[in-house]
Amino acid sequence: MPSMNLVLLISFLLFSIGVAGVLIRRNALIILMCAELMLNAANLNLIAFARHSGTVTGQAFALMVMGLAAAEVAIGLAIVVALYRKKNTITVDEINLLKG
Amino acid sequence: MEQLLIKIGQNLFLVFGLMALGGAATMVLAKNAVHSVIGFLFAMLSMAGCYLTIGAEFMGVAQLLVYAGGIVVLFLFVVMLVELSKSREKGLFQRQTPFALVLVVAGAVAFVGVFWRTIFGSSAAEALTLSPNLMAQGEKLGNAQMLSRGLFAEYLLPFEILSVILLVALVGAVVLAKTERV
Repeated sequence: MPSMNLVLLISFLLFSIGVAGVLIRRNALIILMCAELMLNAANLNLIAFARHSGTVTGQAFALMVMGLAAAEVAIGLAIVVALYRKKNTITVDEINLLKG
Repeated sequence: MEQLLIKIGQNLFLVFGLMALGGAATMVLAKNAVHSVIGFLFAMLSMAGCYLTIGAEFMGVAQLLVYAGGIVVLFLFVVMLVELSKSREKGLFQRQTPFALVLVVAGAVAFVGVFWRTIFGSSAAEALTLSPNLMAQGEKLGNAQMLSRGLFAEYLLPFEILSVILLVALVGAVVLAKTERV
């Protein structure tokens, strides 16, 4: 069984890679993927603490986070497709109008 | 050779974790969006391995089904639907990249500074361990059985709310993505 610190460290590193990706990349699709990665890092934390406390609460909520992530991806990708139809680009720098 | 295999077997979580980190780095740094998706897939598969090695079997399988089976395929569909060659990023890094990197590194340093003692200090010897038996009551139940009891008994209301959210999100996605002419 790995030590708790190792699990937390890995999940922290994954989260920071996700943050770096959101800040660096300009492609809306990759930004969405990085958000997914951050949710996954949080999930890893939840599961680690659930194992640590010996209860099932953390795992149940990790499962709910997973469901929410699926909903987020569905909406996000629909928005990306709609944006591409309207503006012919998905580079977030070029999407700067409130009006379609 | 055998020693090495035994070592790897003991540190399976570390192996999967490093694989996940590598996949995530590929995802962020790849220029081609399809390569990014492949990196994402790799990271998600390794995360499933992580879940399995820390004893959350059901979550590992759910991760495989939801992410590797569903979300990655969805991403690939959209990457191929959206013609990326037209709006190719000129360079991977822009004006704001150094600031972003500085910000992330500062955050990482702050984190390690705060948790230095717990990670590397004298108290690391008595590090928190993942408790091996999930069951507090001593009944013989599998991970999935435990999880279902938690999910359908204690947290039934959040579960139902989640299902409504999913329904709304799917209807919303259909409305957003449908073409103007019906």
